[in-house]
Amino acid sequence: MSAQRVQLCRLKKILIANRGEIAVRIIRACRELGVSPVAVYSACDRTALHVRFADEAYAIGPSAPRESYLRIDAIIDAAKKSGADGVHPGYGFLAENEDFAAAVRDAGLTFIGPTPEAIETMGSKTAARTAAKRAGVPVVPGTEDPFAPDAPDAEIAKAAAAIGYPLLVKAVAGGGGKGMRTVTDAADLAGAVRAARSEAGAAFGDAAVYLERRLTRPRHIEVQLLGDTHGTVLPFVERECSIQRRHQKVVEETPSLAVSPALRAQMTSAAAAVAKSVGYTNAGTIEFLLDEDGRFYFLEMNTRLQVEHPITEMVTGVDLVRWQIRIARGERLDIDPERLLRPAGHAIECRIYAEDPDNNFLPSPGRILQLRVPAGPGIRDDSGATPGLEVPIFYDPMISKLVAWAEDRPLAIARMQRALGEYLVTGIKTTVPFFSWLLGQPDFLAGRFHTTYLDDVLKTRNGRPFVEATPAEEDMAAIAAALEAVMSPSALAFDAAAGRPEQTASRGWRTQARSEGLRSS
Amino acid sequence: MDIGGRRLQVVVTRSGDGFAVSVDGRLHHVDAARIDAHMLSLVVDSVRSNEVSIAADPIGGLLTVHVGATPVAVMLNGRRRWGRREEGAGSGSGPQRLVAPMPGKVVRVLVKAGDLVAASQPVVVVEAMKMENELRASREGTVAEIHASEGMSVDAGALLVVIQ
Repeated sequence: MSAQRVQLCRLKKILIANRGEIAVRIIRACRELGVSPVAVYSACDRTALHVRFADEAYAIGPSAPRESYLRIDAIIDAAKKSGADGVHPGYGFLAENEDFAAAVRDAGLTFIGPTPEAIETMGSKTAARTAAKRAGVPVVPGTEDPFAPDAPDAEIAKAAAAIGYPLLVKAVAGGGGKGMRTVTDAADLAGAVRAARSEAGAAFGDAAVYLERRLTRPRHIEVQLLGDTHGTVLPFVERECSIQRRHQKVVEETPSLAVSPALRAQMTSAAAAVAKSVGYTNAGTIEFLLDEDGRFYFLEMNTRLQVEHPITEMVTGVDLVRWQIRIARGERLDIDPERLLRPAGHAIECRIYAEDPDNNFLPSPGRILQLRVPAGPGIRDDSGATPGLEVPIFYDPMISKLVAWAEDRPLAIARMQRALGEYLVTGIKTTVPFFSWLLGQPDFLAGRFHTTYLDDVLKTRNGRPFVEATPAEEDMAAIAAALEAVMSPSALAFDAAAGRPEQTASRGWRTQARSEGLRSS
Repeated sequence: MDIGGRRLQVVVTRSGDGFAVSVDGRLHHVDAARIDAHMLSLVVDSVRSNEVSIAADPIGGLLTVHVGATPVAVMLNGRRRWGRREEGAGSGSGPQRLVAPMPGKVVRVLVKAGDLVAASQPVVVVEAMKMENELRASREGTVAEIHASEGMSVDAGALLVVIQ
């Protein structure tokens, strides 16, 4: 038996150190490869979909992330008990924690992701900037090193003055907009640093921050990469993630309207050069800011699978999670590199959050009463939500990623609008109405946006509802509310018990109407 | 019932296989079929097909009726069925009652009883779903009561601070 064969026999059982939609996504990839998926769960996730889909499930502690999904010892322990030979970290939680990757390796298991060394280099935003500069890729001006946790305000203020305002305070271990603050005035700097540190400490267990200049109207363009353990690094067609709310991506699409084939060639080779310079393996993403003048700057590298990976899968036909596992098994990347740079059609993703868009996007945790997910041509919904499930207060509010693919951008937008119309979630508020509004905005349709476009346009709305009911829809709601009382199952049951089947509905209605005081007579 | 700022008088009577529903005198024939515990399919005046779902809003004490994908807030009988909405940091006179807008954890209380606070000054920070949300005073006043402490878990609508 060759060494290659021995390698390929490994990874028969994979523990997924995550929850929610991404745990479900990874379980699906495991199933398709004939790998047995193992789940871990916190107290409030006992009934979560990833637990129900897995072959085995291990309780790892209370609901707070620090006591469960961030506990390296508990997760390694579960992996050993289960006899898993690999661990997939998903995104968030421990995905970009080099100590976790090292602990997995030290336990004799395969970490499905980059090496601890690559995570350490590229996961530290300041070290990654140095690596990019060494690879000849321009970076956004900012501080070379993170500040010490006890750095005096004066030292930070001095560095800020050298960079110039507006600037960003960013967590070294940050991601997903957490631990990041924009500062336009020197007076707000100290408060912003405190807030960013506190948020980063809670979210990533690392409170270190640094400063970076804020470009005025950049677009966020990123390049997905896969690297195998034989030295091949392949870049994919870019994703554009400029539609952000408070630095949090809410819509992603590929390809970008702002990227010409020539620019694509430049950005993808720059991304591959950075990854190669640190011997990067498995899935990763290089994020760039594209300035209005067409120049691009290395922003950071995410040393993990991205939330928005499905849109890349839709236009290239490559299953990124399956490749993560195959790469971890030691297989060679044998995909035609040209194909990855020539997108077939256009894909858009909307991140559906448990937030109330009409109430300043406040979190809206709670029990999902009803859930109907869109389907049909070109639609993909990656979700961990089911009816009856409680959306907990402890984790990220994203409940689903709705992806639409079509031959071109206008068709993909029309398809997404159609799907949003089918999406029904009740019991909690979601951002579905917000997306219906956004996808109708002329600037969105024309592709005229940058990373603060959404924050700017939201400021001008003064809390107007995103979807306003027509008088006809309001009448329909009135009819529905009245008939709900008439036809409520309890009213029907009451009448059935009274043995008056022929008058079931009307008696039910009278009973209900009295208790509601709805009827005037 | 109150919908979108309008008060509507709704009268339902049985009619043939369906219902005759009058909305402010506009009479509709409605063929209603129950799909599940929350959802109805309505065919109105023999043609217009609408899928509606009805859910109680746990915070506001309203009904949320989805007409297709459009959510519509419905208040029955000029009163709320489930409790009452705490007046948030409202305007006007009287004490400001700052309440938790969602379930979460109090991460910081930024004032003490007796403190003078300015309008829009942050008073309490509540964390839910990994994001910190600052709750601010709507106008100036003196902190009269504090019901929140750091690390405390709170339900939506829980009273946190009263400002006189």
